Amino acid sequence: MSNISPEILQALQACVGESRVLTDPDSLALYGRDWTRAHAPAPSAVVLPGSIAEVQAVVELARARQLALVPSGGRTGLSGGAMACQGEIVVALDRLNRIEDFNPVDRTVRCGAGVVTAQLQAFAEEQGLFYPVDFASSGSSQIGGNISTNAGGIKVIRHGMTRDWVAGLKLVTGSGELLDLNRGLVKNNAGYDLRQLVIGAEGTLGIVVEATMQLARPPQNLTVMVLGVPDMAAVMQVLETWQGAMDLQAFEFFSELALQKVVAHQGLQRPFETPAAFYALLEFEQHTEADLDQAMALFEHCVEQGWVVDGVVSQSVAQAQALWRLREDISETISRWTPYKNDISTTIVRVPDFLAEVEAVVARAYPDFEIVWFGHIGDGNVHLNVLKPDELPMAEFQQRCGEVSRWVFEIVQRHEGSVSAEHGVGLLKKDYLHYSRSAAEIAIMKQIKQVFDPQGIMNPGKIFDL
Amino acid sequence: MKVLVAVKRVVDYNVKVRAKGDGSDVDLNNVKMAINPFCEIAVEEAVRLKEAGVATEVIAVSVGEKPCQEQIRTALALGADRGIHVEAEGRIEPLVIAKLLKGVVEKEQPQLVILGKQSIDGDNNQTGQMLGALTNMPQGTFASEIKVEGEKLNVVREVDGGLQTISLSLPAIVTTDLRLNEPRYASLPNIMKAKKKQLDVYSPADLGVEVTSHITLVRVEPPAERQAGIKVEDVAQLVDKLKNEAKVIS
Repeated sequence: MSNISPEILQALQACVGESRVLTDPDSLALYGRDWTRAHAPAPSAVVLPGSIAEVQAVVELARARQLALVPSGGRTGLSGGAMACQGEIVVALDRLNRIEDFNPVDRTVRCGAGVVTAQLQAFAEEQGLFYPVDFASSGSSQIGGNISTNAGGIKVIRHGMTRDWVAGLKLVTGSGELLDLNRGLVKNNAGYDLRQLVIGAEGTLGIVVEATMQLARPPQNLTVMVLGVPDMAAVMQVLETWQGAMDLQAFEFFSELALQKVVAHQGLQRPFETPAAFYALLEFEQHTEADLDQAMALFEHCVEQGWVVDGVVSQSVAQAQALWRLREDISETISRWTPYKNDISTTIVRVPDFLAEVEAVVARAYPDFEIVWFGHIGDGNVHLNVLKPDELPMAEFQQRCGEVSRWVFEIVQRHEGSVSAEHGVGLLKKDYLHYSRSAAEIAIMKQIKQVFDPQGIMNPGKIFDL
Repeated sequence: MKVLVAVKRVVDYNVKVRAKGDGSDVDLNNVKMAINPFCEIAVEEAVRLKEAGVATEVIAVSVGEKPCQEQIRTALALGADRGIHVEAEGRIEPLVIAKLLKGVVEKEQPQLVILGKQSIDGDNNQTGQMLGALTNMPQGTFASEIKVEGEKLNVVREVDGGLQTISLSLPAIVTTDLRLNEPRYASLPNIMKAKKKQLDVYSPADLGVEVTSHITLVRVEPPAERQAGIKVEDVAQLVDKLKNEAKVIS
């Protein structure tokens, strides 16, 4: 139950209107958390501002009364960045959901922070354009949240992260100022690019209220291949072979265990019967038949080298979608085993050694755990999922996984990788930040935070403790 | 047993089709084309018969312009042994296609002809039945299961409100329904092998058929756009609207 004082409640209502302040238990539980389940939500109120001015009013009030704010988008985060566990006020940007000022010459469009990713994708499609950042939660996630977490997803190898598609953004800082950063410029070397600092800051510097997003030419005739690959070293050879010859839209991989689980639980068809340790999913544009011939030649080469044992190619959009489901449905499929998730990256070239080391450590310590590997690999990002054996109690599983994490992150550190490739740090990874960022770096981050947010009211306790 | 399978090149069913600006036809410019889904099921069934040792040869045939050889190659990659392309220009009507297929049937003498029940572009659901009439072969349409037993072919058909099993004497014609099977993916090694498989090209004249047209396409238009919904204030307003605007209650 909310224990907010009547006086603050009234002040919040004055900022955003009476019906836009929620304190009922259901709303608090809903808005107080993201997709993580490690912490219990406990905000004191939820506010739904309908304009930038209203966001500013809420921040002014928070400054005056020293109230902690948690900005909230689609709440699909996987690191607890949008969790409100300590009586904070959740600022949900859902109502800032307008798409306007489409500019066909610059191919940009202005979005409120609350615009849902799929809404922007659909808008782009109507204009004959394309918004390329895409992931499983695009039907719920919002642009403001994507920016604050620098969301990645399945098309990063070709199109980069959210960072690459933000032409400008507006931020209400922790000191209540409204910053209009970069204003849609392509070239702008006049001083520090503060926009880039805000992207991926997980709401700790301020609240992103609006963004000018870049759109792209839509890809044509996307064709999907799934290849069976005997080992990780061969996966890297396949990647190198293709990248040397074709522009790939995606290069994903998953293990045999991942495939087995997806096929069994989603009623999908195996791509082929030949068993393989790993599977690579490649997507490319097929402008002419020559593109397919090229891909076939690469496939033949890989088979001759022993890097690929079998493969299929989509003959229709339906088949392309069905093949994508083999990869995209993994997360949902394994959620029944409440997996312990790690989202880690190294440079692409180090992935095979890195994977082998992690697997050896986990297999040695916990031979009874099932490990499901999948990930983007074309960008060095792999997702390690340890499945909870049904008979093992949750608390014991988490405790044992906590130990695994430390070992995994030590390996990450040795390979100069990242403890969070695309999910952010939030609450879940902050104890491990030092495995990928130096003490000097973290010290500078904290100083930057204090400049933007001198009173420490913006999403406190996320990324690091001050 | 020789099996003939007909395949048609159509707009990929996941593509959102648009009418041309002048309403003269569907806009096919730069649109992804694929094998008609029901024809894909027909190919899969023929290949399964071959894998089961029932069929000895599977021949894929398509009628249309040159690019439909892509769909024949897909059928060959899925497991058909050889292809026949009957090259014909423009919009070919089901009756003409049935006559051309009859020509191929006379040449090849298959024991079984499998076709999709309909194509997703024309939606005619006629070719299989017309071919049955022209060749005087028995037909099992809308098949959800087929089984060869000696000189007979048992076909389970999806009919309104249930299933019907019929027994046909061979040679026979089957048209496929959605639940007959789930087609496999074309494997890359098989796509490469398919390139080397025989593909013969015939003209309608080779088959003694004159391409005629009895139907003129007058106009193509998209369905009317649905109006956006509204939010009612309360139950009274909802009841009022259902009564007086939608007139679904009285």
